[in-house]
Amino acid sequence: MELSRRSMIQSLAGGGLLLPGLLSEMLQGAPAPNVADPLAPREPHFPAKVKRVIFLFMTGAVSQVDTFDPKPYLTKHHDQSNGKRRFYKGSDWKFRSYGKSGIEVSDLFPHVGSVIDDICMIRSMQNINGDHFGATIGIHTGSATFNRPSIGSWVSYGLGTENRNLPSFMVISPGLPYAGGQVWGSDFLPVLHQGTRIIPGKEPIANMSRRSVSRQQQETELDLLSFFNRQHFKGREWDPNLAGRIKSFETAFGMQMAAPEAFDLSGESAETHALYGLQPGSTEGFGWQCLVARRLAERGVRFIELIDGDTNIDSNWDAHAKMATYNKLSRNVDQPIAALIKDLKRRGMLEETLVVWTTEFGRGVFVPSPGTEGRGHHSRNYCSWLAGGGIRGGMVYGSSDELGDQVAEDAVSVHDFQATILQQLGIDHERLTYRHAGRDYRLTDVHGRVVKEILK
Amino acid sequence: MSCGVLYSVDPFLRTAWHRCGWLLVISLLARPLLAEDAADHFESKVRPVLIKNCYACHTKPRKGGLRLDSREAILKGGKSGPAIEVGNPKDSLLIQAVSRTHTRLKMPPQQRLAAHEVTALSQWIQQGAVWVQSPSEFFQREVQPLLKKNCISCHGALPKGGLRMDSREALLKGGKSGAAVIPGDPEKSLLIKAVRYQHEKLKMPPKKALSKSQVATLVRWVAEGVAWDIPEPTAVTAFEVDPELRNFWSFQPVVAPEVPRVTEPAWNRNPVDAFIFSRLKKEGLKPARPASKRVLLRRATYDLIGLPPSQQEMADFLADDSPRAFEKVVDRLLASRHYGERWGRHWLDVVRYADTAGDAADYPVPEAYKYRNYVIDAFNQDKPYDQFVKEQLAGDLLAAESDAQRWEQVIATGYIAITRRIGVGPLSLRHITIENTIDNLGRTFLGLTIGCARCHDHKFDPIPTTDYYGLYGIFDSTVYPHPGSEKQPRRRHFVYRVGQQQAEEILKPFQAELDSWNAREREKFREFQSFQTMKVTTPGRTREIVWKELQVLRAQRAEMLKKFPDMEIAYAVQEGEPHDVRVHAAGDPKAPGAEVPRGFLGILGGEKLAAKATGSGRQQLADWMVDPGNPLTARVAVNRIWQHHFGQGLVKTASDFGVRGTPPTHPQLLDYLANYFVEEGWSIKKMHRLVMLSRAYQLASSNIKQNAAVDPDNDYLWRANRRRLDAEQIRDSILAFSGTLDRTPGERHPFPHRRSYFYRQHEPFAANYPTRRRSVYLMQQRIQKNPYLDLFDGPDGNVPFATRKATTTTLQALYLMNSAFIHEQSQLISRHLIGDSTDTKQGVQSAYQVIFGRPALPAEVNRAVAFLAQSISQLAASGSEEKDRQQQAWAGYVRGMISSNEFMFID
Repeated sequence: MELSRRSMIQSLAGGGLLLPGLLSEMLQGAPAPNVADPLAPREPHFPAKVKRVIFLFMTGAVSQVDTFDPKPYLTKHHDQSNGKRRFYKGSDWKFRSYGKSGIEVSDLFPHVGSVIDDICMIRSMQNINGDHFGATIGIHTGSATFNRPSIGSWVSYGLGTENRNLPSFMVISPGLPYAGGQVWGSDFLPVLHQGTRIIPGKEPIANMSRRSVSRQQQETELDLLSFFNRQHFKGREWDPNLAGRIKSFETAFGMQMAAPEAFDLSGESAETHALYGLQPGSTEGFGWQCLVARRLAERGVRFIELIDGDTNIDSNWDAHAKMATYNKLSRNVDQPIAALIKDLKRRGMLEETLVVWTTEFGRGVFVPSPGTEGRGHHSRNYCSWLAGGGIRGGMVYGSSDELGDQVAEDAVSVHDFQATILQQLGIDHERLTYRHAGRDYRLTDVHGRVVKEILK
Repeated sequence: MSCGVLYSVDPFLRTAWHRCGWLLVISLLARPLLAEDAADHFESKVRPVLIKNCYACHTKPRKGGLRLDSREAILKGGKSGPAIEVGNPKDSLLIQAVSRTHTRLKMPPQQRLAAHEVTALSQWIQQGAVWVQSPSEFFQREVQPLLKKNCISCHGALPKGGLRMDSREALLKGGKSGAAVIPGDPEKSLLIKAVRYQHEKLKMPPKKALSKSQVATLVRWVAEGVAWDIPEPTAVTAFEVDPELRNFWSFQPVVAPEVPRVTEPAWNRNPVDAFIFSRLKKEGLKPARPASKRVLLRRATYDLIGLPPSQQEMADFLADDSPRAFEKVVDRLLASRHYGERWGRHWLDVVRYADTAGDAADYPVPEAYKYRNYVIDAFNQDKPYDQFVKEQLAGDLLAAESDAQRWEQVIATGYIAITRRIGVGPLSLRHITIENTIDNLGRTFLGLTIGCARCHDHKFDPIPTTDYYGLYGIFDSTVYPHPGSEKQPRRRHFVYRVGQQQAEEILKPFQAELDSWNAREREKFREFQSFQTMKVTTPGRTREIVWKELQVLRAQRAEMLKKFPDMEIAYAVQEGEPHDVRVHAAGDPKAPGAEVPRGFLGILGGEKLAAKATGSGRQQLADWMVDPGNPLTARVAVNRIWQHHFGQGLVKTASDFGVRGTPPTHPQLLDYLANYFVEEGWSIKKMHRLVMLSRAYQLASSNIKQNAAVDPDNDYLWRANRRRLDAEQIRDSILAFSGTLDRTPGERHPFPHRRSYFYRQHEPFAANYPTRRRSVYLMQQRIQKNPYLDLFDGPDGNVPFATRKATTTTLQALYLMNSAFIHEQSQLISRHLIGDSTDTKQGVQSAYQVIFGRPALPAEVNRAVAFLAQSISQLAASGSEEKDRQQQAWAGYVRGMISSNEFMFID
C-alpha cells in the first residue's frame, strides 16, 4: 500500500474531512461520547488474559471418535451388534501419541498433533440441540431456537475494538454455514457489532473497493460530502448523531485503505506461505483463511471467526454417507491450523490470543447395519479444544465412555464453553448483559460455568 | 370488563342452576347404572373432573387434610368429615361444596364446576361411588414403595450394572444387560426373570428374594404396560396480584382527562397542545419556534408516505397562504396510496412479517404477501382499528356481507399464520410456534410480554403461567397452516377460497397423478438416504447417481405441476378441535400440570370461555382485546401513532407497557388520545390529523441550551426530534429521485410453484427477487436476510420491532461510497435531473430542490461549479471519455448529496 496511515490522515485533514478542531471539540461536549465512537475499546470486568479470539468453526459436525477421542474398544468391536439391532462402528483412522503430553490424535490431524502441547483438549462437550441449525446457533449464541446475538457480537459489544479501521468482529466464511448469517448476527445488539463476512476474492468486504475512477476523484467527492455536511452542521453542532455520521465516512475511508492491506499477502514470505500450505497468490482453502486471520489479529480485530465449509454434506463434516470425505476435509484444515498456532507463537502473539476449535456436535458410534460408511448426528458428546493465553496446554479435560457415546466425566456445555471464552477476555459472563424488551439478556442465559480447571 | 369476575360460567346457565339445579340433578339420578357402566362412568365422567378441578390441591395431605385420589381417602375425608356419603349425594360434603350450597365450603375456590360435572359427581355417589384403580394409581400405591424399598439403593444415581430404576425411561433403556422391562411382556422382561431368580446370572435383589405377592405385583405392573407416576398436576394456587401492581398505571381504566386550560393563543387551539404546553410550562421549558414551511412539508411527507415531497408539492405549499394550507397537505397525504405503504410497514415491523417461515430450511410462503397487502389496504381504507384487530385474530369467524369481505377477513388471520417456525420439524415444536404467537400478540396489541409466562409466572408483571395457558388453549384449538419443512416438505392446511371440499374436487384429477409422482419421489429419496444406513453394493448405484436421479425426478414432477389449476389460497388459520390445555410445567410440554380454561389475562378482567362456547375462543379473544374496558389496546395503539410522528412514544417502550417499560411522559395526554381514538371510531387517520395539526408537531428541531440542560432527551417535547431516514425511506427516495421508482403495489414474489420444492437445511431456500417497487414490497427472508435492509437497521422478520434503531456504521458509509446500487442510481438521478443541460447553475438548483427540498445558496452553487470543473479535469486525466465526463462528474455530485446528513436526516 503506497499510502501510509499518517499521510492518509493528513490527506483527510487537508481535505477537510476531519473537520479539525470543530469535530474533536464537539465530540468532547457530546452527552454520550460513544455515539460518535461506539466501538472505542472498553475496560473488561477484570484483567484479561487475552486480547482477542480466533474462533475456528468446523461446519457439519466433526466426529469425535475419528479425530481427537481414541476409542480402541469401539474399533475392536467394529461391525458387531450391540444386542439392540445396532452395530458398533470403529474409526477408520489410527491414533498416535504426540508431544510431551502424549495426547492421542488420529492420523487425520497430524499437524495439530505436532502442536498438541499448546492445546487443551475437551473430550466431553455437549450441545443443546441435535440438528445442525439449532446446534450451530447453539454454540454461537447459546440458544438453539430463538434469535440471539452471536458470541463475537457480545465480545464486540463488551470490549469494543482496537482498530476502528477494521470491523470488530470479522467472519472469514467462503460458504454459508447452517443458519446463514444468524451465526454472526447481532440480533438485538446494535448492528455495528454484527460480524462482517469476509469472502475470499477481489472484494473480501462488501463495498470495500473504491468504485470512483481514481483515488483523487474519490477524495474530491468526499471533500464535497464534507462541504455538504459542514453546511448542514451549522446551527446543529449539538447533535452527536450528525457528528457520528460524519466520522463514519472518515472511518470508512480508513477502512478502504486499511482493509486491502490486511488482505494483501504479497508481503508474507515464501516460508510463511509454505507453513500454511498456501500457494502464493492463492486465496483458496483454509490456509488463506488462517493466514488472513493472523494478519487481522495483528491489526487489532477483536473477534475473528473462520468457517471452513457450507451446508453441503459432501463438502462439510456431516458425513452421513461416507467417513472417507474426512480425508479431504482434514487436509484442508489440519496444516493451516497448526501453522496458525506456530506462527502466533513465534510472533509472541499466542499468549494474547485465544484460539478456539469447535464444531456443532459429534457423530454417532452406532450404525444401523454392518458396513455402513457414514455416521449420524450426536450432540451428547463431542470434542472441542482451546489454545493460547491462559490455557493449560497439553491437557485433556473431560472424558467419554469407552464407546465415545456418552460423557463419562466433566461434561462441558456450550454455555460453559462460552463462559470460559469470555472469562479469558476479562468478561464475567454473568455481568455482560444487554437490556432488551424489558429484561437483561446475556450470552449464557441462566447457565454457564467457567471451566477453571483448564485455565492457568 | 370487570375485574371482579373470578369465574365465568355462562350467565344463563348460572341462573338456571340457581333456579332449578336440584330438580335437574335429581331427575337425572333416577336413571340406574349397570355395574360395568359404573366403572365406565367413573373413568370417563368422574375421574377427569377430579383431576382437572381437585387434584391440584387434594392429592397431598394438606388443604383441610382431604385427599381425593382414592376411595378410601374420600370416605375418610378431612377436617370437616367424610367427603361423601355413598348413595346420598345431597348430604355429601363434596356435592354441597361444588354446587356451592354449603355455607362455608365453596369449591373449587376460583372456578365453578359446570352443571354437567356436578351432575356426574352426584350420579357417581348415588350409584355407590365405584372406584377403579388406574395403572398409575396401582403404581403409586403398590409398585413404587416396593421399588423404593428393594431396588433403588443400588439402582439409583450411581447405578450398578448401568441400570437405573428411578424412571420409566431408565428401565426401558436398561443397563449393560439391555432393557430391564418390555412393557406388556413380563415373561420376556429381565426385571421379572431376575426377581423370580430365573435368570442364569441376574438374581435380584441379591440378598433376599421378593415375596410371591410382591413378584405378582411387578408382573401385573409390567403386563399392564409399566405405568409410571401420573404427572402430578402442579398446584394452581390462586395467583395473587400484588396490590401495588393492581394499581400500576397501565392497568387502570382509561378515563377522559380534562383538557388543561391554556391561555397562550398559539397553544390553545388543539387539545394536544394544551397538554404539551402546560407541561412545558410546569417544567420551566420554552418551546422551540415553529418549523419553516419547507421543513414541515418534508417532515410531514416522509412521516405519512415515506417519500420526499416533489418540487411541485413544495411550490404549492409555499404558495398557499391560507390558514388551512397545512391541513390540506395532511389530507392530501392521507389520501395517497403510498400512505398505507408507509404505515402498513410500521405494523409489519411489529408483527415481524416475512415471506418465509423461518424453519431451518426457511421454506417460502408464496401467499404471505396477501396479508402484507391486506395490512397496507387496511391503513389506506382507514379500517377502524378495533375491526383491524378483530380481523387479524378471528377474521375467519366474523360475519361478512360478501364473499370478497369474507375472503379479506380470512387473509387477515395471516397475522397468526406468519408466526415464526423453527427447526427441521416445526410441526413437532407446536409449543414453540404458539409461544411465538402469544408473545407477539401480547406485545403488539397489549404492550405486554406475555411470552415470559410460558415457563414461570411473569417475573415483573401480574401475568401467571395459568393466564398464558388460558391463551395457549385458544391457539392450540386453532389450525395453523404448514408451509413445509425439511422433515415434512409438503404443505398442509392452507385455506382455499372455494372451500376445502370444493378445492379437493377440483384438484382430484391432478392429485392422483401427483400422488404417483410423490410416491416415486419419496422412494427415490429413501434410496438416497439408504446410503446413510447401510453399505450399498448394488453395481451402478452410488449416492451421487441417486441424487442426480432424484433431481431429475423432482424436475419432472415440477413440470407436471404446471398443469395444476391455479387456486386462490390464503396463508391463514382455521378452527381446530376446541379444547383446554394443561400448564406445561417449566414450559415443558412433556410435563403437563393442571388444566386451565381458555380465557383472557386475569389482570385485564380474566374472562373465560363460556361452558357452551363451541369454537377455539379466537372470536371471544378478539372481542376481549377491543373491549372498551380493556385499558391497554387503545393506549398502545395511539402511542405507536404518536411515536412515529415524534420519533419517540409517550411511552418510550412502545411494546412494553408493563412494569419494566417506561412510564408515560404525559399520562393524561396518552389517556386523552386513547379516549379520543375510541370515541372517533378507532380511526387512525383522525389521529394523524389531530396530532399533526398540533403546534407541538410543527415545532422546529432546533436546540435551546437552557432546555437541554434540564431535559436533554426532549422528553417534554420542546422541540421536534431530528431523525435519520430509515432503510426504506433511503432506498425509496433515491429511486424516486432517479424517476425509476415503480409505484405499483407489490404482488406475489416469483417463488417456485408451491408444491414443487424440497428444501433442507443442507439446501435451504435462498433467493433475491430484484424489484424497483417500494421497499415494503421487497421479498423478506427470515434466515438469509436482505443485506441492504440489514445494513440500515431495516426490519427483521424474526424479532418484532417496536422502534427501529438508527445506528451509524462504517459499512453504511462504504455502501454509500462504493456500492453498485448507489453508483448506478447517482448516474440515473443526474441523467434524470440534469440530462444534457449545460446550465450548471440551473442543474444545481434543481438537484437541491429535489434532494434537499430547498434552493441552493450562492456559495453552494459556486462550490458545485468548482467541484464539477475539478472533477471533469480529473476524469479526463484518468482516461474517461469526453462524452461521459460531464455525466460522471454530475453523478459524483449527486452521490455526495445522497450521502450527506442533509438528505439523511429529517429536521
